[in-house]
Amino acid sequence: MRPFVKLFYFLLILLLSACANRPNVRTIPIEDFFKNPEKTSFKISPDGKYVSFLQPYRNRLNIFVQPIGGDQAVQLTADSDRNISYYFWANNDQLLYLKDKDGDENRRLFAVNRDGSNVRELIPDKDVRIRIIALDRIKNNQILLALNKRDSSIFDAYRLDILTGKISLVALNPGNITDWIADADGQLRAAVASDGVNTTVLYRTKENQKFRTLFSNNFKTSIKPLGFCKESDCMYALSNDGRDKTALVEIDCRTGKESRVIYSHPEVDVNDAGFSFKDRKLLFAEYTTWKNQRYYLDENAKKLFDDLNKLLPQTEIRIADRNLSEDQFIIRTYTDRSPGAFYLYQTKNKQLKQLALINPSLKSDELCEVRPVEYEATDGVTIHGYLTLPKGDQNKNLPVIVMPHSGPDSRNTWTYNAEVQFLANRGYAVFQMNFRGSRGYGKEFWSAGFKQWGGRIQQDITDGVHWLIKEGVADPKRIGIYGYSFGGYSALWGLCFQSDLYACGVSYSGLSNLYAYLKAIPPYYRPYRLMIEEMVGSPKQDAEYLQGSSPVFHTDKIKVPLLIAQGAKDQRVTVTETNQLVKELRKRKVKVTYLLKENEGHLFRNEENRLDFYDRLEKFLALHLKQQ
Amino acid sequence: MEAKKPLYRKNLSLVISFFILITISFVLAIVLAYNLTSKYVENEFSSNKIKVFEEVIKPYNDFFQNSVPEISYYQGYLDSASAAKYAKIVSDRYPFIEKVIFYDTEISNHPITDGFVVRNFSISPKAVYQFAAKNPEDSIVLFKNNQPNTLSLKTADEFNKMAIKFSSFIESLDTTKALSEDQIFSVFYSINPNRITYLNIPRREELGIFQDLMLKKAARSPVFEKDMFSFYLNPAKLALRNPHPELYQQIKIVPLVYELLTEEAEQFQTELALPGAFAGYKLYLSSSPKYLRQEINTRFLPIAGLLFLIYGILAALAYLIYRNLYINQQLFKLQYDFINNFSHEFKTPVSVIKVAGNNISNAAALSDKERQHYGRILDQEADKLNELMNKLLSFTQIENKSIEVKEVSINLKEFTENLIKAYHLNKPDFNINLNLSEPIPFKTDPVLLNIIFNNLMDNAYKYSEPERKVLDINIRKNDLKLILQFKDQGIGIEKADQQHIFKKFYRIESRYNQQGSVGLGLALCKELIKFMNGSIEVQSQPGKGTVFTIELPYQV
Repeated sequence: MRPFVKLFYFLLILLLSACANRPNVRTIPIEDFFKNPEKTSFKISPDGKYVSFLQPYRNRLNIFVQPIGGDQAVQLTADSDRNISYYFWANNDQLLYLKDKDGDENRRLFAVNRDGSNVRELIPDKDVRIRIIALDRIKNNQILLALNKRDSSIFDAYRLDILTGKISLVALNPGNITDWIADADGQLRAAVASDGVNTTVLYRTKENQKFRTLFSNNFKTSIKPLGFCKESDCMYALSNDGRDKTALVEIDCRTGKESRVIYSHPEVDVNDAGFSFKDRKLLFAEYTTWKNQRYYLDENAKKLFDDLNKLLPQTEIRIADRNLSEDQFIIRTYTDRSPGAFYLYQTKNKQLKQLALINPSLKSDELCEVRPVEYEATDGVTIHGYLTLPKGDQNKNLPVIVMPHSGPDSRNTWTYNAEVQFLANRGYAVFQMNFRGSRGYGKEFWSAGFKQWGGRIQQDITDGVHWLIKEGVADPKRIGIYGYSFGGYSALWGLCFQSDLYACGVSYSGLSNLYAYLKAIPPYYRPYRLMIEEMVGSPKQDAEYLQGSSPVFHTDKIKVPLLIAQGAKDQRVTVTETNQLVKELRKRKVKVTYLLKENEGHLFRNEENRLDFYDRLEKFLALHLKQQ
Repeated sequence: MEAKKPLYRKNLSLVISFFILITISFVLAIVLAYNLTSKYVENEFSSNKIKVFEEVIKPYNDFFQNSVPEISYYQGYLDSASAAKYAKIVSDRYPFIEKVIFYDTEISNHPITDGFVVRNFSISPKAVYQFAAKNPEDSIVLFKNNQPNTLSLKTADEFNKMAIKFSSFIESLDTTKALSEDQIFSVFYSINPNRITYLNIPRREELGIFQDLMLKKAARSPVFEKDMFSFYLNPAKLALRNPHPELYQQIKIVPLVYELLTEEAEQFQTELALPGAFAGYKLYLSSSPKYLRQEINTRFLPIAGLLFLIYGILAALAYLIYRNLYINQQLFKLQYDFINNFSHEFKTPVSVIKVAGNNISNAAALSDKERQHYGRILDQEADKLNELMNKLLSFTQIENKSIEVKEVSINLKEFTENLIKAYHLNKPDFNINLNLSEPIPFKTDPVLLNIIFNNLMDNAYKYSEPERKVLDINIRKNDLKLILQFKDQGIGIEKADQQHIFKKFYRIESRYNQQGSVGLGLALCKELIKFMNGSIEVQSQPGKGTVFTIELPYQV
């Protein structure tokens, strides 16, 4: 950008922000929202003597360890190319971590000693992809991994000895196993097989036995094993077999039949359960209405949370980690207006100690309230969503950012969201909705999104925008649509087929070609292919729908300015595909700002790239939405 | 006087040489402008072909840049129905597409009957379809792999070429690197005369799989679908539009080897080879010399007009400057004459006075008769001088409008009779007849009127033969005007001189005015009459006489 253009934008933004009737609202710097957290991912060592966390070193997250009750943190790793994406304690003296290289999304497994010595890559073969089977507990320095060592499309189960680095085969994948499940002792007890449409859970009581089929279900029903019962031969699972809303159930492993419903909610799915590895029993069921809720199944667990709620009122609480004896907990808190903090909680003296604020530069009274809303879609179904209004006197006729979530089978919930708060701080109302196809509202609601990526799903989004206009919140001339991944697709779709509704759009790693999306399913996902075709569309039978719903074929309908962000190493939405889209748009003289980041994948992980993107986003939106 | 003549002639020669010069410049400019215009038109003729070319080739470029790569967007998923739809859209949009061959291609490591195999890697058409939007009866299935060994060589030629290219590309592919634009063009496009073949570009990870299929012995692989399209193009169907009809008489697409060898070869012609699949053809543009000349003339006319206008303005300016110079010279000449005459006028009385003075001072004694004689001479000459001075003075005054008209009521009859009587005393041979029946009362400045009468009477006397010194003065009046007519029988005035006689210092050279004339009298009369809001006219016949008619506004 030429300097005088920069200056022009600067002055424009200055002028516009001066015009905006928002007294006493501080413009919080972009960095404060999107910088790497100073300390995050706290974990506790199995013996409860050390606390570990991730902290930026040369702008990249690295592992640090400090003793409980001491302040001397030791830096274990010193990687300056990529963030460490995941780590955990292998035993009292060693930690394992995962890190990819230059955004290639192929995460490698490393080990490091508690004092920072002996950093080593455990599976050095670069062609092998690594999935960890049992993250929670490692028994006797043995970790269960699924590796595609033999065949790139088949993951066999291996046991890795962390001390020696030796791997040994535990179970051979006949080709249809997509998931392996271990019990609390680190024994490989169950496997999930799929032929693409039907999922079968295989089970054995001991590792030396053969797997036998426990039950089978179509992919449209989900039975997700969570863990195994303590005494009897049964397992806990989240199941929507025979019901619309997923419930927490117990399955008799002798018959493969559901023996009882432990908890179910009439309106929403149960999405998780708390489990004690020490006592091997269920603690609570978790479900999300407008926000996350808990149903306690254990008196001690209820007492623990009651105590915590007294210490941390009006705050959402999660248990992030615990030691082996389950008397020390890492607590993570959050609200809609605060990314929260990490605490250490010791049950014996009911002492709560703050370990770190996630983001000390943000003050919750400067951030905006996230309000749950609901509206009726054109076919009469109620759609739930969230509306975040900017601070200030005005709450009508606002510029609005419509922010469809990714997935599409994920959902928005009531939580702290940096993007939402950033946009609200800049004076936009932010509108999120759980359109058809979102998870959490039952099987029917979810499957209503099948082959509706360019249909019902988009109609729900459009209906939401019309509702927002009718309510008077949105200024119909200043509505922008911004989304990541599937949200980016929705943004592109909206600009193509609802071009009068939006003044501009932003697609961040958004897919533009459904054919390419189908083609992009990597070879090792091949079991999913038929399922994906049923959910997205079949290139043969649904050719017309796929062509009609892929924005790349309809660039002639886009009239308004567009910002496109893309990582050059993205494997899901390739740079070739996005280049094609940009080329088509430029040919048709659409104003396209194209942000291409060389070392990034689907999601920008490096801080400077993230900040650059949000900086461009802010300027782009200011230019096209702020003027009245 | 003779010495002055070359001066005037010098001006004239300057003017003439100026005229010659601008005329030469004008002619040169016209010639040059014509030549430049024709050069310019000829240049445009050869340079504007680019515009015609771009116009003609735009649909082809659109097709090549936009519609062909669109095949890749389908990622190999096209089948006969969707391919037919695609083929129809492009054929409708681009009339130069004759027919489209669609090879529904499969890539695998299976053994095949029809197709191309390198080691384990096989590329084979599942089916080959021909779509012809313009002749639907030509839309046929050329091959289907459920009837093995029926793939004809003709149907398979382009397919095999692409398969060879693609296979060798897969064999030597470095899967760690992204595809370059160069590779894409050389592998996935095949451009032949009037034919473009395109294979959809696989995703990067697919290329790696293909390489494994080729180089590694593996179990029976799944079938990977690819789409290959071959477009037959007809250059004759390219729409020819002439954005410069004034330059190009004819635009056509001809084979690259085409040469015009007939007598029409004298035509202006230019050409440009077509790109890509049309490389065997060129765009041929021609115009006859007559056609181009017309364009040259169209462009030249306004330029010529402008040049002519400039020339006209210069000529007009030159004429005006010359005329001003001429008038100034006339004026200069008159003043020169005036000074000449005037000094002569003064010289006579002065020399008479000097002689008289000398005689008086040299004479020993003066008789009474002599004294009276000299006294009269001195008196007369002094009067003459005085009169000269007065004339000059009053004229200057009148010219400067610095005298005032005194309005006195007079009786014209009495006033005129008195004048005639006085005149008779001096010039007894002058026969003046007054024709005025009734006494007319009149309000005027008698001094000024006196000068007018005196001057006209003087002239009548001066310019008459001694035996015909007759003047008739007619005075009459109507409602508004007093008309005074002075009619003599003198020598008359030539027609050419009549318009000049009222000019200052104008004097007709004749023997009648050898002395005592400065050419001021009539000019003074005219000025005075003008001053009194009247007018004076002259009618004259040379040898017969002259009539001066004065009209004065009548007031009592």
